[in-house]
Amino acid sequence: MAESFAIEGVGLTRRFGGFTALDTVRIAVPDGEIRGLIGPNGAGKSTLIDVLSGRADDWHGTVRLRGEDISAFTVQERRRGGLARSFQKTNIFPELAVREQLEIASWHAETPNVDEVLHEMGLVGIAHMRAADVSYGDRRRLDLALALIGRPTVLLLDEPAAGLSMKESVALAELLRDLASRWKVTVLLVEHDMEVVFSICDRITVLHLGRVLAEGAPDEIRKIPEVVTAYLGSTVE
Amino acid sequence: MSQPSERIALPATPALARVSRQVWLALGIAIIAGSMLPSAVTSTLAITLLTQAVIGGILATAVGLVIRQTGLVSFGHAAFFGLAGYFIALPAKHGLWPLELSIVLAIAMPTLLAFLLGLVIVRIPGVAFSMLTLAIGQAFHEFAVRARLVTGGDDGLAINLPRTVFGVATEVFQRPQTMFVICWVALVGVLFGLHLLVRSRFGRVTTAIRENEERARFLGYQTVVPRALIFAISALIGAIAGTLFALYNGFVSPESLHWSLSGSALIMAIVGGTRLLWGPALGAVVFFFFKDVAGDLTEHWPAMIGLMLIAVTVALPMGISGALTKLLDRIRPAGVRRDG
Amino acid sequence: MLLQILNGLVYGGLLYILAVGLVLIFGLRRVVNFAHGSLFMVGAYVGYAVATYFGNFWVGLAVSVAVLAALGVFLDAVVFRPLQREDPIVTVLVTFGILLVLEDAVRTIWGKDFLSLKPPEALAGTVQILGESFPTYRLFVIVLAAAVAIGLSLWLRMSRIGLFVRASSVDRTTTAILGVNTDRVSIIVVAAGAALAGLSGTVSAPLLALSPSMGSFILIDSFIVVVVGGLGSFSGAFFAALIIGQLHNFGVVYVPAAATMIPFLLMVGILIWRPSGFAGQHV
Repeated sequence: MAESFAIEGVGLTRRFGGFTALDTVRIAVPDGEIRGLIGPNGAGKSTLIDVLSGRADDWHGTVRLRGEDISAFTVQERRRGGLARSFQKTNIFPELAVREQLEIASWHAETPNVDEVLHEMGLVGIAHMRAADVSYGDRRRLDLALALIGRPTVLLLDEPAAGLSMKESVALAELLRDLASRWKVTVLLVEHDMEVVFSICDRITVLHLGRVLAEGAPDEIRKIPEVVTAYLGSTVE
Repeated sequence: MSQPSERIALPATPALARVSRQVWLALGIAIIAGSMLPSAVTSTLAITLLTQAVIGGILATAVGLVIRQTGLVSFGHAAFFGLAGYFIALPAKHGLWPLELSIVLAIAMPTLLAFLLGLVIVRIPGVAFSMLTLAIGQAFHEFAVRARLVTGGDDGLAINLPRTVFGVATEVFQRPQTMFVICWVALVGVLFGLHLLVRSRFGRVTTAIRENEERARFLGYQTVVPRALIFAISALIGAIAGTLFALYNGFVSPESLHWSLSGSALIMAIVGGTRLLWGPALGAVVFFFFKDVAGDLTEHWPAMIGLMLIAVTVALPMGISGALTKLLDRIRPAGVRRDG
Repeated sequence: MLLQILNGLVYGGLLYILAVGLVLIFGLRRVVNFAHGSLFMVGAYVGYAVATYFGNFWVGLAVSVAVLAALGVFLDAVVFRPLQREDPIVTVLVTFGILLVLEDAVRTIWGKDFLSLKPPEALAGTVQILGESFPTYRLFVIVLAAAVAIGLSLWLRMSRIGLFVRASSVDRTTTAILGVNTDRVSIIVVAAGAALAGLSGTVSAPLLALSPSMGSFILIDSFIVVVVGGLGSFSGAFFAALIIGQLHNFGVVYVPAAATMIPFLLMVGILIWRPSGFAGQHV
């Protein structure tokens, strides 16, 4: 089975101060798949994204991008390799205009697709506005848009729908599914919004207390009792 | 209520071609007006003070640049100012090499030093960076004071200028009327250069890094070298000021390295406002006005400067230049506002 | 030689008392008080003025400490507390402005010329230490610094407020959550920090010449002590002051330029190695 995955993490472990955030986690996402990553708060989802994207330090294991070991790669090198991410806490450039920051992002990308991204993400109308002056929803989309510049091959998204309304979340989900198929992007998506997860993900990995609890197609996942229990109080339908 | 952005995306045309007509006009007027000033102002004392204000303005611009492009506040820029002076004085004293080379080194060496230093210290955030620059600046001052055999200690060093430099008579540096024009042109040149810089890709990238260093990294950018370069460029500007000062006064002393000079330059930058490139220079004018003009009427100019610093820091973050431009914008309709 | 070391202890002692005030203020309010040197200066001048007026050094000392404590309360209420939420650099700049205002105020009231204050009668003579004559007053300064060190140490360890100070130094947020009124503790601590500056100032008056620039002069050294000693560390400040005091003194007499740069280079080195003390998170 020498298939190489778009993004793969093996034996990922991260501990700080006696607390184990990740415990020998293995995750392997094949090319073109949209993988959901769910789990209760504190399960380690963001940490996993941080490790895969190069944001975390002090971790063990191996991260591979299309078969190549990128464990020691810097954040910049990973970006060059086609790995991009968005952030749970909106991470944009407040004083710069929307278009300006996408342009700056494009100078480091092989395909400077500023207009395309502006259009896809519905930011054309506010392109010349300062990021600090636009709505929360627009800022979230901008956070995602920055990751889309250059048509990355692997996209790690950390709760892109956080704080969005129901309508916005649905629109975002459709957009992601559409983009993923058109651009042939592999997506690993952390989300709490189950509507989004179940509507667009091909497979789902469930994380709990730093370990992989279950993994499979959406229909299989929602039937596993442990998953339901772990998610006490959430809307797993 | 949304405001149009100050930075509009520009097509990739050569930098000089993109400079707006307003700026060219301002540049032209500035140079002409400055050149004519000495004829209009007859008092040698006034010209002398204005020359000092311009030199101070250049140093303040340097400090302001670092704040504007990196968000870091330097308390030690006198180091580059004074170092440049000593690079002129020491070779002259020992007859090591011609003044031309001294001037080149006086500007180049502090720049290089700042770049190397910058590679290490720009990673250090906030107040720690400021304290660091304070300590570095004082280290230089301390050395200059203690190493009497080399630097002449507190007494300083006199600079014996040759008769000509770069084919020009050196007495132009010592005569207030001509020196004012030289310094003024230097200031205007520096501001124009910075105008090109901040609009360039490099300038826009460093602005982004200042806004969000982490995201800039995730977009693929190296964030240490660009900021070190900004620091180096600001040192270059400070060194230009220091060189002019040394040539003008024919003298250099550890006072040129003291943190109070760094502090004054910083106050000029903050009071004038760092968002606009010409803000710090305006701050210098205000500072020297209080020091020399108001200083005749009242002894309390340091307290006034102190109060102004407090007022601007707390209530007027864009400084006087920012407040002025906001005022002007209300009078005339908002268009493409040049950000310096 | 012994005299040299003792003299180094004198300056180190003054520096320690001043620096410890800075550590207290930084530990609680997480701000760098650029006006601290000015508090030292104001303390010296107030002490001078009162002592001269009443003809009694000790009265001058007591009043100076009290006035400075009040000034500290004022500073905390008007500057440190309101600016808590801002970028720390704002407080640096504002206190820098205050430095200028205070220097001007002192210059206005007492003029630019150097003033001197005589040490109190009781301490005016000399003592014999190992066959050498040493001014009693200087010995007093050394003893005072030691007393402050011991007293502070006991206070931190034994009193409730001392406990809160140590707790706040380590973790502000948790301490606040635990219901400690950080603001009230801060007022007391900042007042104490300012009072110590005043103490150091008045006590230094018979040794150094009084001038409006004396504050700026000692400010940098006190910053070095605080940083080199480890931000927020009281014992660190003690040892750092000791070392810097010696270097300062030996520097005046023996040592080449390089050695006097050591304190600055140490400060630079430490800030590069461990800047996080300043950056808002406590080490």
